[in-house]
Amino acid sequence: MNQHISALMDGELFEDEADALFDKLKSDPDADEAWRTFHLISDALRQPDHIHVNVSSSLRERLQAEPTILAPRSRTRQNARWFALSAAASVLALTLVAWMSLQVGSEPAPQMAMQQTPSALRPASFSSRGGLNDYLMAHQEYSPSADVQGTASYMRTGSGQ
Amino acid sequence: MTVTKPAFLLFFWLTFVAAKAFADPLWQDELGWLKTMAFAAHQTDYSGTFVYQYGNHVESSRITHIAGRDGEHGRLESLDGVRREIIRDNDQVQSFLGDRKVKSEECPSGREFPVLLPGQLSLLNENYIIKPEAEGRVAGFHAHAVLLQPKDNLRYSHRMWAHSDSGLLLKAEVLDERGRVIEQYAFTQLTIGGNIDRSWIVPGKPVSASSAQKKAHSVRKAQESGAASGWQVDMLPAGFKKIAEVRRQLGSKKTGVIQIVYSDGLAGISVFIEAAEGEDDDHPGLSSQGALQVYSKVIDDHLVTVVGEVPPRTVMQIVDSLRYGGK
Repeated sequence: MNQHISALMDGELFEDEADALFDKLKSDPDADEAWRTFHLISDALRQPDHIHVNVSSSLRERLQAEPTILAPRSRTRQNARWFALSAAASVLALTLVAWMSLQVGSEPAPQMAMQQTPSALRPASFSSRGGLNDYLMAHQEYSPSADVQGTASYMRTGSGQ
Repeated sequence: MTVTKPAFLLFFWLTFVAAKAFADPLWQDELGWLKTMAFAAHQTDYSGTFVYQYGNHVESSRITHIAGRDGEHGRLESLDGVRREIIRDNDQVQSFLGDRKVKSEECPSGREFPVLLPGQLSLLNENYIIKPEAEGRVAGFHAHAVLLQPKDNLRYSHRMWAHSDSGLLLKAEVLDERGRVIEQYAFTQLTIGGNIDRSWIVPGKPVSASSAQKKAHSVRKAQESGAASGWQVDMLPAGFKKIAEVRRQLGSKKTGVIQIVYSDGLAGISVFIEAAEGEDDDHPGLSSQGALQVYSKVIDDHLVTVVGEVPPRTVMQIVDSLRYGGK
């Protein structure tokens, strides 16, 4: 029997002999087991790195032993997980905004200027600065906005003081 | 096939020509309106009261403007809080706080009559989409409205209402990228032409051709000396061009200040560079008022102050890429 299987694997059987052996493999569990073992041996000899271990029968047995549970899934645990995730995301967002405003307050990295959203910026009010009016007046002389607004463009200088 | 192909090309060509013919007058119209507004702002005699608002702050001011044979005179007087007054006679600007004169200086810019130049209009057209808006009524006058919508987020939107007859700007809104009004200015009462009080005008010498020439020369000289300052912006925000670079005196400061001005056709950004002194280092960072942002920072022992009617990111991009490249 084993000689026949070995001959089949090596392709040395005639067609009618092979057909007969295939029928036997289907019906005889021992022959089937021998077929699998022979293949495992040949795999191990050729490719020791990729040994195909037959776990199908043991897995099938354990699956059959497993009881089938027909019950609704508990929702409370799921909700709690979602809440924890969204809370974590909010904290992360808050930290990011706080960090960004700190960056604005001190010295921002060049690439930061491109990414900032206006809402993250908390500019100080003008009135806290002395001597600022000189800059505003000087800017107003050149700014193209004065072309359309004329004298009214000076409204921005000294405002809020 | 050989017959239909040229026909197709002709059709496309005609469509293209027709589209251009229909699009151009509109484009011309809106740009023409801006030119009219710029002209009216400097050539119209008017007197009125306007309201200026940003955030929670509202203030009203009285404005008088007279354009005569001896040049242009403007007077701006605050009506709320401490009395502030600015009187401009051609290139002379005087500021008053209470009853005290705080400053009197000559504009070094030589722009007694700033008008939109052709180059400026094309720059404006590159950076903004100009659309006509619904006509309206401001301070009792019929007004044409235009919206200048930026093509990127480096500048603000501007909506302007101009008097249908004279082109005088009656109301202006500055909007951020979400379309919220961050600053506005509107006349509440206005008299155009007629008998306007001239008693405040200090009789001065008219602007003679020679003095204007002398001035233009000194401006050119200043620009030449400024051009060698060696300071440069590596990452200039898209659409902005340098329009001036001068070395000037500013306020009570002993040493000179370099002023470099950039423009996108409508919004302006000034970069001031001066030697850093101890007392100047107290206020680094960003401060803002409506559409106007100020950002200061010390770079290589120099105090850099950037002022502009642009979003914070644009001002910061300039500060962050400013460096001394040497002469």
